[in-house]
Order: sequence, then C-alpha cells, then structure tokens
Amino acid sequence: MTASYQHLPLGQVQAGMILSDELLDAQGHVLLPQGTVLTDATLALMPRHGIAMLPIALPEQPSEAEQAASQEQRIARIEHLFRKNEPDSDSDWATALLRRFVTDYRLGQAPAEE
Amino acid sequence: MSTMLTYDDVVKNLDDLPSLPAVVMELLNSIDQEDVDISVLAKKVSHDQALTAKTLRLANSSLYGLQVKVTTIQQAITYLGFQATRNLITAAALTGCFAERSCAGFDHKAFWRHSIASAACAKVLARQMRFNQDYAFTAGLLHDIGRLVLVACFPKEYEQALAYRNEHDCLPLQAERAVLGIDHVDAGMALAEHWNFSDTMRLAIAHHHNPEAPGAGFLAAIIHVADAIAHALDLAHTPDGLVPPVSTVAWTALGLDETTYLQLFRETELQYEEIAMVLLS
Repeated sequence: MTASYQHLPLGQVQAGMILSDELLDAQGHVLLPQGTVLTDATLALMPRHGIAMLPIALPEQPSEAEQAASQEQRIARIEHLFRKNEPDSDSDWATALLRRFVTDYRLGQAPAEE
Repeated sequence: MSTMLTYDDVVKNLDDLPSLPAVVMELLNSIDQEDVDISVLAKKVSHDQALTAKTLRLANSSLYGLQVKVTTIQQAITYLGFQATRNLITAAALTGCFAERSCAGFDHKAFWRHSIASAACAKVLARQMRFNQDYAFTAGLLHDIGRLVLVACFPKEYEQALAYRNEHDCLPLQAERAVLGIDHVDAGMALAEHWNFSDTMRLAIAHHHNPEAPGAGFLAAIIHVADAIAHALDLAHTPDGLVPPVSTVAWTALGLDETTYLQLFRETELQYEEIAMVLLS
C-alpha cells in the first residue's frame, strides 16, 4: 500500500486517479492491481461489481524541506529578476515596493499592514 | 564598430515589413472612432478564416465567461461589444503577422509571451482604474512592437545588441541605444506612424519607459506598470529576465494598495494563461 490514500465514493473518483491498493470484488478476486491509473471505462464498470468506494492514492505531499527549498527557489528567482533594484535607494522605491508585493504573492503571504 | 542607425533608416525599411490584413489596419486606425460600420467589418474579417477562428476561440475562452458559444464574428460583437471584439481580432492578427526572422538570441515566443502578459495585466489594471480596458489591452500588446521591427529590418545588428545585453546585463533599451544608436521605442514610433496608429496608442508606445514625461498620458503609466509587473511575475520565462525600474510617478498615479496588487497579480496570471493558449498555439 502506498504511503497515503483516501477512500472516495465512486462519484468523486475521476479518470487519471491512481488506485492505492489492489481492488477486490465481493468474492475476493483481484479486479485491478495496485497502482492502476483509472479510466472512464474502468470506472463505468465499478457499479456492476457492487463497488461504491475506491482507495485512491494521494499525490505525494511535499515535505517541509521540499517546501522550504521551493520557497527559497522562488525568492532567489525574484532576487534575480530584481537584480538591478536597490531596495534602500530613495529614488527606486516603487521598484522596491513591487518587489515586496511580488515576494508576498509568491510566498502566499497576506499583505502586511501599511 | 558598426555605424549607428537613425530613425530614417528604420522608416526606409518599413515597407519591407509584413503588412497586416487590410481589415486589421482598418480596425487599428479606427480605435478612437465609435461610428464604424460594424456589419461591414464583421463581414470582412469573416473572409479570413484563420483570423476568425482565433478570434472566436479567444471570445469563447473563460476570459469573458460567456454563457453561450459564439460561432460568428457578428455574434461575438453582439455578446462582447464592438470594442472587445476589435481587440481580439487585432491581437489574433498581430501575433501571427511577423514571420520569425533568424536573429540569433532573439526568442520570438518569449517576446509574445511578455507582450501578452503585459496586455493581460494592462487590461486588469485599466479595469481597476476605470480606464478603457480595450485601449489598455491593445497598447500592452503593442508596447514593445519596435523590437520586432528592429529584428525584422536589422537582424544582424540586433544580434549584436543582444550580445551586448548579455555581456553587460542591462535592459534591452540600453543595449539597443549603445549598439544601434536607436531603440525599440524609436522603431515602435516609426511603425505607429507607418501603420497610422491613433494618438492614444502612439503616446503609450512612446512613453512606456518614461511615463513621467510631460503629456505622456495616463495610458503610458498603466502600460509602464503593467510591463514591470509582467516582468516581475516572470510570465515570459526567460532566464535573463530583468524587471525595469518602476517610475515613482506612474506608481503614484495608479495609487493602488498591496491587497489590490495581489489580486491583480492573480488575475493577470489567469488571463495570461488563457490568452497565451489561444494566441501562441
């Protein structure tokens, strides 16, 4: 079984989702192996086997370290894009402000109180 | 060292440029007029199938959130209005009209990604400022058109300008001036003259790098800020992307707060994706 999964009612399962476990019918026969990518055709067959819920693999959650790394990447990219801006310059404050807003936007932060 | 180009050199070469479909020229030239005969225009556009198809795909994109699917130019005008439809036709025509000249280092796709991003952002900004969104969109799309003129007329010289830009890590504008003696603003102005753009468009193209100039007009301020935001949001995805300095005058003229900007960023990204999908496919 994969690390994380959830049981979803058939109505919420969409083509492209992945089975986190092998799927058995009422007699214990394997209908589909673990890791099957579901298609509309296979999903349409489920009611015939009396299956109403499916174990669906959840997309890998990025670890904290990965999240931090991706944040660092975003900040590095913004620094690169704004490499000609001097944040403390008196004459270039509008660019500095745009830089701050875009940084907040990329990091998903709520606007700071003015 | 190459000899410097002049404005006249650009003008002399403009006749070699691809011409826009006659109906698009007509649309561009009539952007300030309200009393154009719509049915005649719709008919003319309909003769150009590729143009019609692209225009309708844009009209049916979630950009406008229409409940019905429009299938003719006339219908698009009925549901979106004349101004918006004219915009879409212009956008569809412009992005297809310049052939990709070989000019080492110039990325045509990236050029249009940035132009479309600026257009999307200018439209969103204009709505916020209660300014004409269609002028803003078209001006955003056209603001750097002078770069295409330079690439088309002087590909070898422009290669040198691009090499200079890479070496000095400066703005394209500075590299163009240093190497060519003229910049994309000059070339854009020459084209605006040649194609008979309205004064509103000319001012916006002329002053998108110096919106604080007297008489530059509010549209120049919108385009200036939209240009900077498009660079800052990195929508063109160029490794050497560089945000140009933002004019404090233009920034102050818009007078928007951070909450508003954060919403604008989101909307710009969404609209950009939609438009780019149709125009660059």
